Amino acid sequence: MSKTISQFDWLSILLYFLLVSIGWVNIYSASLDDTATSFFDLDQIYGKQLLWIILSVFLIVILLSLEAKFYERFASIIYVFSLFSIIGLFFFGKTINGATSWYAIGGFTIQPSEFAKVATALALAKFTSDIQTNIKNLGDQFKAFIIIALPALIILPQPDAGSAMVYAAFFFPLYREGLSGVYLLIGALGILVFVLTLMFNPFWVSGGAVIVLLLTYFLRKKKKPGAIAYLSILIVAVALSFSVNYIFENIFEQRHRDRFNIVLGKEVDNRGIGYNTNQSEIAIGSGSWFGKGWTQGTQTKGNFVPEQHTDYIFSTVGEEWGFIGSTVVVLLFILLMLRILHLAERQKSQFNRVYGYSVAGILFIHFFVNVGMVIGIFPTVGIPLPFFSYGGSGLWGFTILLFIFIKLDADRMSFW
Amino acid sequence: MATTEKNILYRIYFVAACMLLLAIGVGVKLLDIQFLEGDKYEQIAQQRTYKNFVIPANRGNLYDAGGNLLATSVPKYDIRFDAVTVSDKNFEENLLPLSEELSKMFGKSSAHYAKTLRTARANKHRYFLIARNLGYSEYIRIKNFPMFRLGSNRGGIIVEQRTVREHPLGKMGERTVGYERQDDSGYYTRVGLEGAFGPYLRGKEGRRLKQKIAKGQWKPISDNNEVEPKDGYDLISTIDVKIQDIAHHALLRQLEKYEADHGSVVVMETETGEIKAISNLGRTSEGTYFEKLNYAVGESHEPGSTFKLMAMIVALEDKVIDTSTVVDTDNGIMTIYGRKVRDSHRGGYGKISAAKAFEVSSNVGLVKLIYDNYKDKPQQFVDGLKDMHLHEELGLAIKGEGEPYIPAPGDKTWSGLSLPWMAYGYGSIQLTPLQTLTFYNAIANGGEMVKPRFIKEVKEWDRTVEKFEKKVIDPAICSPETVEKVKEMMKNVVERGTGKSLYEPHFSMAGKTGTAQTEYWMKDWPKNPRYISSFVGFFPVEKPKYSCIVVIHKPDYRTGYYGADVSGPVFKRIAQKIFTDTPVLDEFSKLDTVVPVIEKDYNKYFSVARKYKEIMPNLKGMPAMDAISVLENLGLRVQFSGSGEVKRQSISPGSKISKDQIVKLILG
Repeated sequence: MSKTISQFDWLSILLYFLLVSIGWVNIYSASLDDTATSFFDLDQIYGKQLLWIILSVFLIVILLSLEAKFYERFASIIYVFSLFSIIGLFFFGKTINGATSWYAIGGFTIQPSEFAKVATALALAKFTSDIQTNIKNLGDQFKAFIIIALPALIILPQPDAGSAMVYAAFFFPLYREGLSGVYLLIGALGILVFVLTLMFNPFWVSGGAVIVLLLTYFLRKKKKPGAIAYLSILIVAVALSFSVNYIFENIFEQRHRDRFNIVLGKEVDNRGIGYNTNQSEIAIGSGSWFGKGWTQGTQTKGNFVPEQHTDYIFSTVGEEWGFIGSTVVVLLFILLMLRILHLAERQKSQFNRVYGYSVAGILFIHFFVNVGMVIGIFPTVGIPLPFFSYGGSGLWGFTILLFIFIKLDADRMSFW
Repeated sequence: MATTEKNILYRIYFVAACMLLLAIGVGVKLLDIQFLEGDKYEQIAQQRTYKNFVIPANRGNLYDAGGNLLATSVPKYDIRFDAVTVSDKNFEENLLPLSEELSKMFGKSSAHYAKTLRTARANKHRYFLIARNLGYSEYIRIKNFPMFRLGSNRGGIIVEQRTVREHPLGKMGERTVGYERQDDSGYYTRVGLEGAFGPYLRGKEGRRLKQKIAKGQWKPISDNNEVEPKDGYDLISTIDVKIQDIAHHALLRQLEKYEADHGSVVVMETETGEIKAISNLGRTSEGTYFEKLNYAVGESHEPGSTFKLMAMIVALEDKVIDTSTVVDTDNGIMTIYGRKVRDSHRGGYGKISAAKAFEVSSNVGLVKLIYDNYKDKPQQFVDGLKDMHLHEELGLAIKGEGEPYIPAPGDKTWSGLSLPWMAYGYGSIQLTPLQTLTFYNAIANGGEMVKPRFIKEVKEWDRTVEKFEKKVIDPAICSPETVEKVKEMMKNVVERGTGKSLYEPHFSMAGKTGTAQTEYWMKDWPKNPRYISSFVGFFPVEKPKYSCIVVIHKPDYRTGYYGADVSGPVFKRIAQKIFTDTPVLDEFSKLDTVVPVIEKDYNKYFSVARKYKEIMPNLKGMPAMDAISVLENLGLRVQFSGSGEVKRQSISPGSKISKDQIVKLILG
């Protein structure tokens, strides 16, 4: 065991504890009110979070004590169990803030979708690392897609679009493992067409697509791909644009439309649907260089930003610690993610590598979507900021996610 | 594996680059929010979290000349109940004791309260009205009731405080006391003294900067207020509550008797011009009266016969006539330019002196005296009037003074009829009652015309901020000889002229009646004649202390319409009672003597006063002021409560009385 301890990647562990501590300090500030007594007051949000953090230390010890082989061996079972846990929500779930995503056990609530990500990552790693799987094979691509899509499709109607969106993160490992870049290109183009359609209208987008494709067709150096490929891309783009427009206008609910319109700057509504983002921008903007100091944030104290201790915790960072503080937090996240990518890349086992990429991808999507929403460059999607946002399930979910990888990494030599 | 090492490396770089790129995007947006637009957001944040709270200033009090409160501000409390915030345990434990207490305080059964509170809770009512308009002590009491004493969060009590302007003396002089209201756009509606002296009474509101610390909670930034509120000043008005009371009730009684449309009475202290009482009553559709408009200040009209004094003085001053000048009133009818002037006395008075013409208010006499002497030089007559400031506004502090108008040759409306018509108060002359009174007061004051005043002093606690001294408009509007001559004539009006029904051997008064036709240009006038009856004068004649005008508009002509009949009695009652001095007690214990009803007649005053010398009279049903006069003349000291007529007296009728004995009266 003593040998293994030295194998742990202490940099990642340090980054983890730094982020968790900074997170708690901000939760403390965001949830502080007149009735505060001590840090350990379990009636208070920050007191509860402190308990979760202390308990997660024990969790880490358990995670690191288990055999690394355990995770690979039991990946499928964990995945199936996890699927049942999120399906069970439809029958036994508790509704909080409109989403039926929780189990109530005693005085606590558990959000199984936070753990389903871990299970999916394990299952995907197991599947891709199977000796018979070749990700360039269309059939295997389809199977991998099923593994990813299944939990996402179960979570989506709860409704929890944010958590479902996170499953897009699994394209990172698949791409690393050899999935054709065409998928990414199609995905990127799809997003581009989607956004442009919302910003302008399908006719402009179609016209633009024709011009761009004609230019690239005639300016291309190679003869391939041929005109038919270009034509089909055009047809798909135009069809996508019109269908996006149709879906947006007819299938989306008004609240969804509003969220997109506000981020795209097509609508200003600082009292209603845009209130959260506007308030959060005010809080961050008023922080300036060095911020107002811990627990000195006027917007934070005034409870102007809703859900500030959960999804909007980053606005507290921005207000009280200023640009310097928020940049430090952003850098810590980037550092952790790059570190994980680095660790993943040094794995000998494909299982470990895929899992590592999954961890990095999940953390990144969470980080980007959450911070993007808080600072107003992404539509309002309720997903937590890893290690920061208040909530036991979230914290434990990310802790498990990260420390399984740290254990796998520490154990990488045993293959030899 | 088909993928080359290089390919893999590209893919790794690509993934890392994507992450970095998006992270840089986050950084750029942060820079944008925190620097490019940082100032904007900082300002918004400041506005949202710092707020200037207004601390209202206490409005000053309005006192009468004797220090009685006319208007003061008192806090009132509305109590409401948030039926949702209370926990089940607290609600169940406290519901019955609370209902019990509410029942004791407000009278309905405790079961009723328990039921309504339960319903409110079931309906999730968060703003349920418990009581309105509570005084401070009641508020303190209800605040300590079970459940409520747990406070707003746990006990659900919601307290809303308002400041209400109260008039401790009720409706008396309401229009003159007035009010000042500010609407949402900051525009003030100003009425009466409150309005006129609003800037003094209002004070200055203070400000306190507070910071938002949590939902709905604001913390003051510093210990002291940024701007201390400055309370309004107190005003000491010239109004004398006692005289006001007399005037108010005397006018009210007469208006009711004659079912008149409206009327006003003003009592002015001769020497100083202080307004001691001013009452304006208008009729409602139900036939009751209330302080509707400030007619005395605002309503100008053709004065009619009371203007004969002004005309007479001009002629006397110009020495074109003397009191003994004989004028032929013929048979009481004279024709000028085809229009007829008539005396109210059928058949006329024949040849009489100018003084007599004034005393009997002969229209023909006055028209002849003026027309004969001024028909070639009407401008001189008009100038004479204007020299006496009759065309000038008094310049009162109270807003809305009616504009006076004295026609002059060259005016559009001027015609051959103007001069003769002006001689007896028509011809488009416009004067307000207060302007007429100011003129008569000048005569009472030996020719010195003083400006009417409503406010004596502005005070801040004990310190005098501003004193409003007597202001002389004209030290002598006419010669002392003329003053003496017209005073004598006015005295004779009461002794033997048109006002002789008012004559009282024990008390000297001087004045002039006026019975002016109004709306005579309307077609229905012959069927439904309408008059303005007035009486204006002063008392006592020897050394005038007060002057007084009574104007009553449109009395029911079937009951009477002559100035002497309609307005004169009001004047007389005020004059009779004005010197009675009686302390007012707010409350005393119930009296046990109940007296039988005697006939209601205020003239009983004198018969009763003369008859009883050493035994207690029966005062039941007698107006309070009469009763007090009677008792004080008997040497008794009077204490009373309430207002109106005597209901009970503490010494039973027929009992022996001694000097300085205290008698208590309950009025109602």
